[in-house]
Amino acid sequence: MAAVIEFQHVTKIYRRIFSEEKLVALSDISFETAPGQVCAFLGPNGAGKTTSISMLMGFFFPNSGQIRVFGHPPGDLRAKEQIGFLPENFAFHKFLTAPKLLRFHLQLAGRNPNSAGNLIAGLLAKVQLNGYENLKIGKYSRGMVQRIGIAQALLCDPQLIVLDEPTSGLDPAGRREVLQLLAQLKGEGKTIFLSSHILPEVEQIADHVIIINRGKMVRSGRLQDLLATGAQVEILADRVPPELTQSTLRGAIVEPTQSGVRVLVDTARKRETVEALWAAGCDVIAMTPLRSTLEELFLKEVDRPGGAQ
Amino acid sequence: MKLRAIALNTFSGLLRNKIIILFCAGCACVLLLMLTPLLILRNGRGAQNAEMMQMAVLPLIASMMQFISGFGSLLAAWSAADVVASEMRAGTVLAVLARPVRRWEFLLGKFLGVQLMMFVFVLLMLGLNYLLAWIGGASIETTPWVLIVYPMVRYMIYSALGMLLVTVMHPIVAFCIVLVVMIGSSLVAPGNPQTFMPEWLRTGLFYVFPSSNLLSETRFLTITRATLRAALWTDHATALAYGLDYALVCFLLAAWIFHSRSLSRD
Repeated sequence: MAAVIEFQHVTKIYRRIFSEEKLVALSDISFETAPGQVCAFLGPNGAGKTTSISMLMGFFFPNSGQIRVFGHPPGDLRAKEQIGFLPENFAFHKFLTAPKLLRFHLQLAGRNPNSAGNLIAGLLAKVQLNGYENLKIGKYSRGMVQRIGIAQALLCDPQLIVLDEPTSGLDPAGRREVLQLLAQLKGEGKTIFLSSHILPEVEQIADHVIIINRGKMVRSGRLQDLLATGAQVEILADRVPPELTQSTLRGAIVEPTQSGVRVLVDTARKRETVEALWAAGCDVIAMTPLRSTLEELFLKEVDRPGGAQ
Repeated sequence: MKLRAIALNTFSGLLRNKIIILFCAGCACVLLLMLTPLLILRNGRGAQNAEMMQMAVLPLIASMMQFISGFGSLLAAWSAADVVASEMRAGTVLAVLARPVRRWEFLLGKFLGVQLMMFVFVLLMLGLNYLLAWIGGASIETTPWVLIVYPMVRYMIYSALGMLLVTVMHPIVAFCIVLVVMIGSSLVAPGNPQTFMPEWLRTGLFYVFPSSNLLSETRFLTITRATLRAALWTDHATALAYGLDYALVCFLLAAWIFHSRSLSRD
């Protein structure tokens, strides 16, 4: 199946006018996002996330490399017709009310706003802005603005939803609602490309993760695969003889549990440990690779010396 | 539909733009100040007053007309520069251009929104023309379309110029440049007696700057006599085609620059 988003060796360099000074915002970035996938685009501040998203939307142009969205160049109307976009710090025309803003965006999408009363009401209810139809957006709180931004991104039933920090400015309840909404969209088969700093939330919905740092890609892959590649394994045994903890299991974490003993060892020593337990007549009940969290993975990749070099 | 939506949205925004409201309020105050002696004289009775009306008041009306017309050009330039710059500043341009809207369509929609506002301005100016003529005891005999189309074309030029400049620079700088162009174009106009400028520079600037004199409706409206100067349709066609062509070139240049520039929240 053709990829929805394709970045091929994309490089973006910012240059100052009348100066030799230049900043490499993105360097040789390549990735693909498959249809129906939730792809989390992660990186610390200044990593190049917003630059990448801006190029994906056709707002910036790469210095080299190629970007395709639904097989079209970014900015192509055929691609934009299928995209719902929420920019970081969504800005709006403050004198409009929410229904007027959505009608305006419907017109921009070339659709008739007169027959969209139900659609608009439904969307406002979905983002919990019903009851505020007559309030001008200029008087909205930060969280309400974010909600109306999400509503406009979902307005024309897009196949690809690009969200730059969708939960910023929202309270915990609002964040949970957005996550539920994203999970619902994922269930509908939409492709979602999002950047966020709130990693535990991303972990709940993402299928694919791309981590960039200082303009370079440091990790990419299926979330399950990335998190399963933890450095430790958990071994559950019925018991562990004391002499073993002094020899083979030296350095490992041995904890008693209700059903036996839990042993945490480095992945490299799992075979040796299990064989020692068997040799000592212990019953090995289970061995599970210890999953790291996305936050741990992210910090490990970002903090790694020269990780982005 | 897209163009209409952008144009109407721009028009709505302009009507709420505080700088433009302040700009118009200032203009209205100056006009009222200029009207005061006129109204006093009109209300006075006697032969001496009638003579003063002929000698001083009617030229005053003519200068008021020129003031409003010049103000309109500045308003057109500022509005066009501001509607693009404020979208960039606020970041609303990102949400708009994420929709299936081409960049030139965005710019054209903005341009049309500004023209809509200038059309309202021209209608108000037309009403004021007739009001001033009535106060001055004269009547305007020219056809109203001249008083609508000529200023509209002139305002198109200045708004297109403002839009072109704002695609590469700050709106205040763009506005100042338009102001310089306006003053320059009146200085290099044929018939202007200024002598400080060398002839080669004057000729060069005459070809580069928009000819506001050619596009001035006052060519056809001599308020002091309120008579219509005879003008052939070819005269109108040439002058208007020149103005529209100038505006089109400025707009196309603006669209070309805007097409290739990076868009971000300034």
